[in-house]
Amino acid sequence: MRHRATVAFGVPAPRVRTPRKLETMKTKMTTSLLLGSALLLTGCAQSTDASSQSPAASSSAEQKSTQAQGLTTSDTWAKAAESGMSAAFGTLHNTSDIPLELHRVTNAQGDEIQLHEMTGSGQNMSMKELEGDLVIAPGADVELAPGGNHLMFMDLKKPLVAAQTTTLTLEFSDGSSTNVDFAIRNFDGAKENYDEHAGH
Amino acid sequence: MSMPDTSVPRRLLLGSTAAAAAGGLLTGFGTGRMRAQAATTEQAPTGPGFRSFYGQYQSGIIDDQQQHAVFVGWDLNWREGSKKQQLQALLQMLSDDAARLMSGRGVLADTEPEMALPPSELTLTVGLGQSLLDVTGYGKVGAMPAFAGDELKEQYPQSDLLIQFCSQDPTVLHHAVRAVSKNLRELTSQRFVQTGFMRPMPGKETFRNLFGQVDGINNPADQVREQAVFGDGQNSWIPNGTTLALRRFEMDLDRWDEVDVAGRDFALGRRQSDGSPLSGSSIDDAVDLSAENELGLPSIAANAHVALAKPGHGGETIHRRGYNFDDGQHSGLLFASYQRDARSSFIPVQHRLAAADALNTWLTPVGSALYAILPGIAEGGYLGQQLFG
Repeated sequence: MRHRATVAFGVPAPRVRTPRKLETMKTKMTTSLLLGSALLLTGCAQSTDASSQSPAASSSAEQKSTQAQGLTTSDTWAKAAESGMSAAFGTLHNTSDIPLELHRVTNAQGDEIQLHEMTGSGQNMSMKELEGDLVIAPGADVELAPGGNHLMFMDLKKPLVAAQTTTLTLEFSDGSSTNVDFAIRNFDGAKENYDEHAGH
Repeated sequence: MSMPDTSVPRRLLLGSTAAAAAGGLLTGFGTGRMRAQAATTEQAPTGPGFRSFYGQYQSGIIDDQQQHAVFVGWDLNWREGSKKQQLQALLQMLSDDAARLMSGRGVLADTEPEMALPPSELTLTVGLGQSLLDVTGYGKVGAMPAFAGDELKEQYPQSDLLIQFCSQDPTVLHHAVRAVSKNLRELTSQRFVQTGFMRPMPGKETFRNLFGQVDGINNPADQVREQAVFGDGQNSWIPNGTTLALRRFEMDLDRWDEVDVAGRDFALGRRQSDGSPLSGSSIDDAVDLSAENELGLPSIAANAHVALAKPGHGGETIHRRGYNFDDGQHSGLLFASYQRDARSSFIPVQHRLAAADALNTWLTPVGSALYAILPGIAEGGYLGQQLFG
């Protein structure tokens, strides 16, 4: 455990993030598109232009890959909680040769989920919402771990029950998205307190 | 039995990065969205020091017995909703835990994953009580009956769920038990933790129990063992599954101290010194109940332990995989046996022993339970998946 409940989190009350306007129409991808484009994951030119991701333009095998297609994950898990806050962790790996810019995380029940980063060191670690996107460089891993970057559930609408699985939708800056399953586990760490009175 | 190998396969040192990179093409699309590939198909390491989680049978049953064991029993705490789905999720989690721990990795959310290496032949073997079979609606192994002389204690009951943890290294074992127990917290209430130890005798799958006797001499080997434990696919509760009889016998070692060697050998029917039967001269000699001594009396008394324990027919054959225990107050034998159907093997034999075994004078049964041991699985599957078809 890299940090404990005694760590002082000098962060003010969390900002409620206003989801950026996403051109969600363009994020809808059909299964046939995926089946077609998933066959070729290599040789993608850099492209962050969401407008190139329309289904009509994507049916060709020469279609540029989306950011979502470059993601693989491992050891993804979320902390069990009946209500309130919780967090999700795991390793995000970029298999592509373009940067993956994780822009937003959502789930089916509409929980508010923030991307958080830890700053500082030792007893002076503090947590804040990430400014901008979480960027995964080509070929690189980003580890989401207790005491480090993580995905934060701000106020659960449904319990996260140990041994079950919860699915999060990871949305990237090009409008592409992917679903990732997180195994729910008991965990006594990650007791970050986001109460605005903490540390006062 | 090979000693634990402390070398670490290079594959393990590569970590999840390499595994993720090697994950290959994307699979498992949802409708309208893609699903990121989870790199869970990492190949399990093999070689000395590792037992495979995947296979026809679960490990920890007919493979070589490790020197240390912990048997942990839990009852399930049900939430609202489908019990069957809750049990399924729990078994999926346990399968993930076991696969990771046996390959030397920490479980998800592990706070001390470093302690999983080297696994030192760690095995986790999962069984269900009849109560959980009833939840699935599949299979019948029944309950352990009461036996004559039972003085069962509340702290060693039948539980819903059982995991047999075994390893050559008690530190690895402790970590594995704690990691799994933390994952089961709130989903379950722990009913017992029974720790055991043994030291195999050179070249033999035998060990000295705390009476000083050589234990395990008549255990079946090879194909006879496999047949006794798993049958032919038709005569066990499920193909490639088996049953575990778990009994805790306290030994009265202070009163055993009062018995001279001849009396001890008479009660067992074998010599304490070398394990040879009183009807022969070598540990490899068969138990011959018709043999007579120079006085014309049976060499092995009718109520000697080996006379009563001898299978009446092949169907009564069991495979013992027990351990010594010493919990600080009591010591004895943590009897564990695997057999394809306890009702036609372990249970009739145990009734014979409970009624007349000369060793009963120094033995008190204080714990007793029977479990359905799940079949092995292939990679990508989970333990118990056959029950949720």
